[in-house]
Amino acid sequence: MTAVPAQFDHLKPHAAASAINALWPVAVAIAVGLVMFYGVGPWAGGYQTNVMLVIGINIILAASLTVVNGFAGQFSLGHAGFMALGGYTAAAIVYYGSMRAWGSADFAGGALSYSGSGEFTGPWLGRGDVLFLFACLAGGCVAAGAGFIVGQPSLRLKGDYLAIVTLGFGEIVRVVLQGTPDQISPWQAKTALDVPAWKLPLMLGGPKGFNLLPIYSTLFWVYACVVLTLIAIYRLKLSSTGRAFLSIREDEVASQAMGVDVTKFKVSAFVLSSFFAGVAGGLFAMSIGAINASELGFQKSFDIVIMVVLGGMGSISGAVLAATILTILPELLRAPPPVWPAGLALLAVMVLVQWRRGRWNLRSLAVVAAATILLEVGRRICLAKGINIADYRLVLYALMLILMMILRPEGLFGVNEIWDYFGARRQRIMHVGQAVAGTDE
Amino acid sequence: MTAAVRSSSSPALLDVAEIAISFGGLKALQSFSLALPPGSLSGLIGPNGAGKTTVFNLLTGVYCPDQGAIALDGRRLHGLRPHQITAAGMARTFQNIRLFGELSVLDNVQLACQLRGRPSLTATLLRTASAVARERFIRHRSLELLDVFELRDRADEPAQSLPYGHQRKVEIIRALATEPKVLLLDEPAAGMNSGEKRQLAQTIRRIRDKFQLAILLIEHDMELVMEICEQITVLDHGVTIASGTPAEIQCNPKVIEAYLGVDEE
Repeated sequence: MTAVPAQFDHLKPHAAASAINALWPVAVAIAVGLVMFYGVGPWAGGYQTNVMLVIGINIILAASLTVVNGFAGQFSLGHAGFMALGGYTAAAIVYYGSMRAWGSADFAGGALSYSGSGEFTGPWLGRGDVLFLFACLAGGCVAAGAGFIVGQPSLRLKGDYLAIVTLGFGEIVRVVLQGTPDQISPWQAKTALDVPAWKLPLMLGGPKGFNLLPIYSTLFWVYACVVLTLIAIYRLKLSSTGRAFLSIREDEVASQAMGVDVTKFKVSAFVLSSFFAGVAGGLFAMSIGAINASELGFQKSFDIVIMVVLGGMGSISGAVLAATILTILPELLRAPPPVWPAGLALLAVMVLVQWRRGRWNLRSLAVVAAATILLEVGRRICLAKGINIADYRLVLYALMLILMMILRPEGLFGVNEIWDYFGARRQRIMHVGQAVAGTDE
Repeated sequence: MTAAVRSSSSPALLDVAEIAISFGGLKALQSFSLALPPGSLSGLIGPNGAGKTTVFNLLTGVYCPDQGAIALDGRRLHGLRPHQITAAGMARTFQNIRLFGELSVLDNVQLACQLRGRPSLTATLLRTASAVARERFIRHRSLELLDVFELRDRADEPAQSLPYGHQRKVEIIRALATEPKVLLLDEPAAGMNSGEKRQLAQTIRRIRDKFQLAILLIEHDMELVMEICEQITVLDHGVTIASGTPAEIQCNPKVIEAYLGVDEE
């Protein structure tokens, strides 16, 4: 990067400001993690904590897929493959790493990763946590390496063809992982020292899955990672790099003509996106203490794609919202609560937004109202007849997607963030624009 | 060829020497030469399908010529990819507008502007001082350019929501933002009414003077071409049939024939 010309030195923020810029995400991540771990988790209870863990991991997956599918417009259907790669890598490092380092695969973390029942006495961080963090990063890096390789065909292929290639990649990862030999069981931990080191990463349990892993992923680690991921991807979106991604999505030929190295940016979109997916895989494996490739096949990739499509192609907050809703939905469907309060709230928000913009879209209001009534009636019929809607979850997803494609093909929020609808973005751009122009004199 | 002779006497900014390309059996362009001196304003005309846009695609690296050489400011462009050629100093607009429709006008310009330096990925993620300064600088330059064309107040709007004439302008601004030495305009007046065309002629002259670059334009509107171009090259079926000043072109029998057909009697 060439330096900014000297006469524009005043554009450079103060050194202290830039140090804060680099550090505050970590501080916020730790703070949010602590609040989730010590505040929300104990208050919500064990079952809800598990749901929240899944939500957090799904948020990382959906937000990272937004980089490839949303920003760069390269349709990938293999995100679960990257997650599986990262997850197995992290699991192998934690599992065999602890065996070799301290002779057993038992939990060796500190208070922040302790999720068992009963009091925990010990430091905040243990030696196991260091291994766990390193493992998640390594998982991310392995997935990123795979992303680099999978990114290559995207240079030649477009649309459907690329989707098929990434789909194939995901399936290859799944099948290969399912074909690995049995793992060394925890009670034979001593034998791990006799097996040559290069063989250990291959013994991943095969079709039975990689089980009995020590559990480290607590609300603290998962939500700290969620915060870091979201900040990183949001910074990316607002930067030159993000702009280059978006330009490729909009018009590849014009993008090249404006000097964007399309090849390089497509590959880096894949690398970045799969890195975060790999980290999510590590968090996932160590949250339930097991990872099984058969669960991380096409179905999982598709679930993540639905989150991105539903939230809006390129909307980070949309992906977060969609990931949350789609994770809670199956849980809610087991005993569906009344729909009308949510419908009413949504209507109120829409009326507020449209009123503030001064532009009324009566059709959208009517659609929401009709959908609410329909869902409420459906719920009552199901309750009366004793039908379990959770069994029809996939039908509902499919219906939701069909409706989405008809009514709002760009997803809930399109490329915008939720707060863009409240006028914040426009004001900020104008503000910065004027501020920069004002420094001319 | 004339171009070769001319380029030896005064160094041309863009020197195209006898390039040719064929697609299958179709000879889309044969032995095309051109020399653009710095600060010149030249036109490329010809009936539909004459190969004008093919010339632009060859110059900008979308196609690679079968033979011949292209040099920009003394540097050979052979085998460079389109983004490298843009970086070398050749920018273009498109016949059918190709703005990034969903991005804002400002983002369209910023994207082109960032070619001359953008923060690295790590710097972006850490938001280092130099990255922030660079992003602000890109925004500053882009807004400046929008100011020149009085489009700053549209900066936030999605490019696709702009009226047609403004979209054409944004395309030109976007091309200028890459800081080119040579600017290629592909039918900038297409779809404009006569008032807008007159304005465009002024704009093109102003760009040439303000940004000190050589401009080559493809245009169907003869009035506009004759008014602003100093040099005109006429293509027909991939062959250069004439080249010279507007006055020379206007009375060239070959050109009249190409445009109006041969008098059968």
